[in-house]
Amino acid sequence: MDPITLLIILVCIIIGGMLGSLGVHLLPVGGAPAAMATATGIATGCVMLMTGSAMTGLFTASTVAAFWDSNPSVLLVSLSGGVGAMLMIGFSMFIANLLYIFGVGVVPVSGQVAVDPITKEPQTEYMTPRTSGHGVPSVAYYSGMVGGLTGGFGGALIYVILLSGEYAGFSAATAAIVALGIFIANAIMAAYNIGGTIEGFHDPKFKERIVTGLTCAFIVSLMCGILVLITIETGALGGVM
Amino acid sequence: MPVISLFAWMLVIVSLAFIACMFEDLESDIGSQSNPNSQIQLAPEMGYIHRYFNKAISGEGLSYALACTISGTIALVLLLRLEPTSGPKAALLAIPVGAAAGSILYMIRASVCHVGREAGQKRFEQPIYLDVLYGHLVPIATHNFIVVICITTIAYIQSNLALLSGMEASAASVSNPFPLPLLCLIWGITVGAIGSSTGDIHYGAERAFQDKPFGEGRRVVYHGQICRYGDCGVRTSKDVVAFCAKFGGPATGLTFGLIVLFENWRTVIGMMLGGLSETELVNPDIAAGYGIGIGIAVGIVLIVLNTWLVKWTRKKYGPFVGE
Repeated sequence: MDPITLLIILVCIIIGGMLGSLGVHLLPVGGAPAAMATATGIATGCVMLMTGSAMTGLFTASTVAAFWDSNPSVLLVSLSGGVGAMLMIGFSMFIANLLYIFGVGVVPVSGQVAVDPITKEPQTEYMTPRTSGHGVPSVAYYSGMVGGLTGGFGGALIYVILLSGEYAGFSAATAAIVALGIFIANAIMAAYNIGGTIEGFHDPKFKERIVTGLTCAFIVSLMCGILVLITIETGALGGVM
Repeated sequence: MPVISLFAWMLVIVSLAFIACMFEDLESDIGSQSNPNSQIQLAPEMGYIHRYFNKAISGEGLSYALACTISGTIALVLLLRLEPTSGPKAALLAIPVGAAAGSILYMIRASVCHVGREAGQKRFEQPIYLDVLYGHLVPIATHNFIVVICITTIAYIQSNLALLSGMEASAASVSNPFPLPLLCLIWGITVGAIGSSTGDIHYGAERAFQDKPFGEGRRVVYHGQICRYGDCGVRTSKDVVAFCAKFGGPATGLTFGLIVLFENWRTVIGMMLGGLSETELVNPDIAAGYGIGIGIAVGIVLIVLNTWLVKWTRKKYGPFVGE
């Protein structure tokens, strides 16, 4: 395979991985405390949530990629994946809010900012004392939607670049498994960087740690990308590629 | 006619998705899996000896991905073996057998996990109640079976959608290109992630702390102080399910149902606008573009709905009252 194509594949894998990591940092993740309405965000871990949403995006991306015979449009397939992941996160956050409001009886508030930076609604007076917020407030919802879109776009970008006959030319199943592997590696690195809970772009933790997170994502994606290139060049996957 | 069949199959998939995710959440309530498990695990340390079932095989997404993938793999092996002789009827045997294997293995993991965790809490004088162990394993396996059979059926329908809708071979792009076990893995992770992120709130924040004041987040000082008594006698995890089946479970099912509905709906509408016929898809660019456009429109509606919901709640509930 010619070096320019190999370089494009490597760059796309790195961009996809870094977008995945950025997506994880943007999600309002509350972990186990959020299930007890003790912390703001969605009540599950970063990796679980981002992988679940990226999987939904990957499913749609795979269906859309099958519209073309061999060379799918990279941009349209990636966007389809991004929108799929965004909808998954959007519905999860919306129904989670219904449960917080009608099942637990709390107002969605942020524990990290006194005033919502977008809607300008005050937060502190609505919060239960000795908790760090509860539910998914408006600003966290917007951040989560953007996070889902970027994460899903990144995952689908890796998938389509590996699938396309113009580039790597893997089979659909192999491309999906490789994309999933690279995506999960990046999501786990981001989860370590976050260290538990994060509310989104308005959380002070985001500004503090995003550079480290993206640097780690770059290194991990670069290593994964080099492995993929070695596989392509040596045909290490044999006849199943 | 095939396009109408496509929509009909899409609605079958959505119904199955609703049932699958609802039972996934209820199963996690019986076994105290996922996030609220932290409270069940912490309770004996706080002096709260309980009769809840205590298992956390792993995160819900991964444990369901494993159960569904086992089911999908066994179903695929049976399909490859039986389809040449029996045709599509082979699915009637292959899918339930695969799901049964997946759920039996899940039950084994649940039993080992519960006994191991409870044994580890001997230092806090938490006994292993054998009636709790025996009494919860069958509900865990049956709820899990319903999830796994629904997910395997969804994967089977999606990987054979063109054939089932009466499309010709040249319109094979209607079917998903992934093999059955990979689709099971994808939907297994997703169903677990959604069950963990939405349904757990009703159990963790409300049912597990029902003796604490309603209408406030659970303060850190309450952690581990779970509610151990039911309407009559000592509460077990089976009582949790009866409560969560009235709101948390169906709401979780609705989440997954809506996600699958809108994901498939926007793709199929896009395909129709892109000139889908019985034989081919004329314009893939337009099909994909319309799918993306509809998805973004649904996303904007969701943002507006959530913003309105938060505003309405703030107005209705008002600031926090109390200490």
